[in-house]
Amino acid sequence: MGRGRRRLRVDPADAAGALPEAIAALSRTLPAGPSPETFRRAKFDRPEAASALWQLLFRVLSQLLADSASATPTPEAQAGWVKSVLLSQGYPRRGLAQLAEDGSQGSRELLLALAWLLAQEPLLERLLAQTRIRLGDEMPVCECGALASPGQPAPTVEAGDPVDVRHVQWLMGKLQFRWRNLMASQQEQCALLGKIHSYTRGCHSDRSLGHLSVAETELLRDPEGGRQLLRRLESENARLEAALAWRCRELVFWQWMDTVLDVCPPETSQPTALPRRRKGRAGELELVARELQALQEELRAAVEARRAAWEARVGSREPEWNAAQRAAQEAVGRELAALRQAWERGGGRAQPHGPHRLMAPGFRLSATPGGPALMGPWVQDFGLSPQKQVDGTGQSAGSQLPRVQSRPWLCVPCLSQGWQEGWC
Amino acid sequence: MLPAHCSRRCGPLMAELRDALDTCAERQRQLERSLRVSRRLLRAWEPAETPAPEPTPGPKTNEEVLPPACTPCPQDLKELELLTQALEKAVQVRRGISKTGDKASSLKSGSIATHATTASAPPRASERKPPRGIGQTTTPASRLPKPRLLSAGDQTCIRRRPHTAKPGQSLRDQPVAPSAAPQAPEAFRLKEKGTLLQLPMAFRKAASQNSRLWAQLSSTQTSDSVDATVFSKTQFLQKMQMTSGWPSSGLSAAEVEAEVGCLQKASSLLRLRMREELTTDPTDWMQEYRCLLTLEGLQAMVGQCLHRLQELQAVVEQPLKPWPEGRLPRASLPCGGRADPIWGPQLLLYSSTEELQTLAALRLRVGMLDQQIHLEKVLMAELLPLVSTREPLGPPRLALFRAVHSLLCEGGHHFLTILRDEPDD
Repeated sequence: MGRGRRRLRVDPADAAGALPEAIAALSRTLPAGPSPETFRRAKFDRPEAASALWQLLFRVLSQLLADSASATPTPEAQAGWVKSVLLSQGYPRRGLAQLAEDGSQGSRELLLALAWLLAQEPLLERLLAQTRIRLGDEMPVCECGALASPGQPAPTVEAGDPVDVRHVQWLMGKLQFRWRNLMASQQEQCALLGKIHSYTRGCHSDRSLGHLSVAETELLRDPEGGRQLLRRLESENARLEAALAWRCRELVFWQWMDTVLDVCPPETSQPTALPRRRKGRAGELELVARELQALQEELRAAVEARRAAWEARVGSREPEWNAAQRAAQEAVGRELAALRQAWERGGGRAQPHGPHRLMAPGFRLSATPGGPALMGPWVQDFGLSPQKQVDGTGQSAGSQLPRVQSRPWLCVPCLSQGWQEGWC
Repeated sequence: MLPAHCSRRCGPLMAELRDALDTCAERQRQLERSLRVSRRLLRAWEPAETPAPEPTPGPKTNEEVLPPACTPCPQDLKELELLTQALEKAVQVRRGISKTGDKASSLKSGSIATHATTASAPPRASERKPPRGIGQTTTPASRLPKPRLLSAGDQTCIRRRPHTAKPGQSLRDQPVAPSAAPQAPEAFRLKEKGTLLQLPMAFRKAASQNSRLWAQLSSTQTSDSVDATVFSKTQFLQKMQMTSGWPSSGLSAAEVEAEVGCLQKASSLLRLRMREELTTDPTDWMQEYRCLLTLEGLQAMVGQCLHRLQELQAVVEQPLKPWPEGRLPRASLPCGGRADPIWGPQLLLYSSTEELQTLAALRLRVGMLDQQIHLEKVLMAELLPLVSTREPLGPPRLALFRAVHSLLCEGGHHFLTILRDEPDD
């Protein structure tokens, strides 16, 4: 098998020290990381290690999912939440589901769960990136995050309550008002940012950044706040160093985790009756299905019409058309493949995403190669520029809106008929 | 007045609306916080916190906040002198007038100040003479309600009561130059002296170390140890899968959600493309042919998406593994989350405030339209069944039609007027 110590290229004396070091580095990087001793106890499924691991998993997962609502402190609630999140992410082991939720056992299973999370994705980097201290003034250039994705609807607690349509109207109006407020505040914020940037031009120690940001200016204005920021920066630096140290040493950890798996009793594969899922969550699926079906109908009608017209026109044509036809087919195929890329997972991201640090160039542009993006062309150029992402989506969203609003007109004939019938 | 049955099971609709309102409110709160910070920065800073830039050798040698000889803009400074004189006069005038209220006095001083700058006030020898008796009659800048009054170009700079203590404590507590001590320092204003600021050394070190560490973390080195690590990780995952009691196939809830999201995006992109094709008039046969091919290709893709959706629906209905009950927080997919750029945010240059505002406005508009589209879809799903039932008409039902029409077709902006057309006989 060749596992364990025989694989290590260091001698066992070093190996004995390398593992605690690796785990210590891991702990320093994680929020609320437990000591290496806790990890060791967890391998042997000691109950005293359980609560620390439950808490660790809770903190890690709630940070990953950015779910501040689940700040429930009771250990049972924490444990239940952790279990359901791990299950929803596809944790493969049955042992987790069978753990009691009083938080007193299951440390080995939790250790495996933590290792599973670490192995699947760059967990530490993600956690660090989420809590990263932003020193610059940042603005996201896309709306993929915040408001674009509607949240899951809450379980239908109020399913039975009759709701007045006027209440709905009022809420919609309120929403529009809030949006207007938001836009006005955003405009003001941009104006203030512009001023601060222009007033602090030339002060930054880093020559490629031409001016101070709000955070930096604020730390100058308020020394106490500045000291706090400095402390936070230093602790983030410590965590980053720990992450780098972990990276060098993590091989030892994975080899150790193999041994943990070996120690586990094998899981019996008895078939358990799986609970049937609630229907409530299928709501979004149905919405998408309905959209796609409507789209299919429209396309079918359009294609039939055009195909008939084409066949009528083409009729009998010369054979050299075939080459041209094939070329057209290939070109169309390529275009559609590119279109598909736009929504596939793992598709290329032609458009920039995420937050960008704002920089007013002032009187000198930093001529770094592959340098910063210029906003000017974005705002003006409507070609294949990134602005098209924002603007294109705006157009698509804006153009979808009249369609959505005009759809109910299809029902008007039946409405009017109903009126006539009703009145007569 | 609306019949109770007209709004039967609006649970999801109300929840969606409330969600939308809450996210909007949360975003507004965050924006307000940043606005407060920015506004505070643009006002006069507290004298006790005026930064004393460090006496590092460099182009800005011998820094003090105050000496006029070193300021880069003597012209601005001169205007500042005039302004402070005018304000001192205003304060005296205001003291003479009874205290009518904060707003009125500040406005008045504002107007006086604007007049004063155009008038030719006798230049004063020293601008640092403490204004007499400002004391408590001065309206502290922080209490002015309207931030517009304190916009950078404004003239309502209200002097604060100067501290006699040292005027600034930088992060390193640099001693203030003795020449400043007997003179009361003015309040620091970013507009005039912003270019004199310097970040403290400790901070600069920490910040550069921070960016260096991030760069290191994001760089992917390929070496033997890294490959071995990756290998052992995949081995571990496989072993875990094998030792579990559940079938390894099957999607998790998170994956299903992610795929549904992709299909949603696919639907809107396909629709957009279809619209483009349908609205362009082909000029020659080749274009017509391409249009036809494109539409047929789109049709095929929609079919595939529907098929995938049905598969997902089957998984949802009858999962192979236990699925979590209840509601879960939606997994936060960082946009473009697969290839997450943890390397620092890229720079975005802008050349004017208008550009910045345009970008922000467009972004918000996209978000708003997206949300609006989603809400309208939900509204349609909820409300259309109500109006298409065949029931006897009456005023309540007409009112319902009117409401639904305005919500769905007019976006709630306009309302129909329904008239009853009486026959003449």
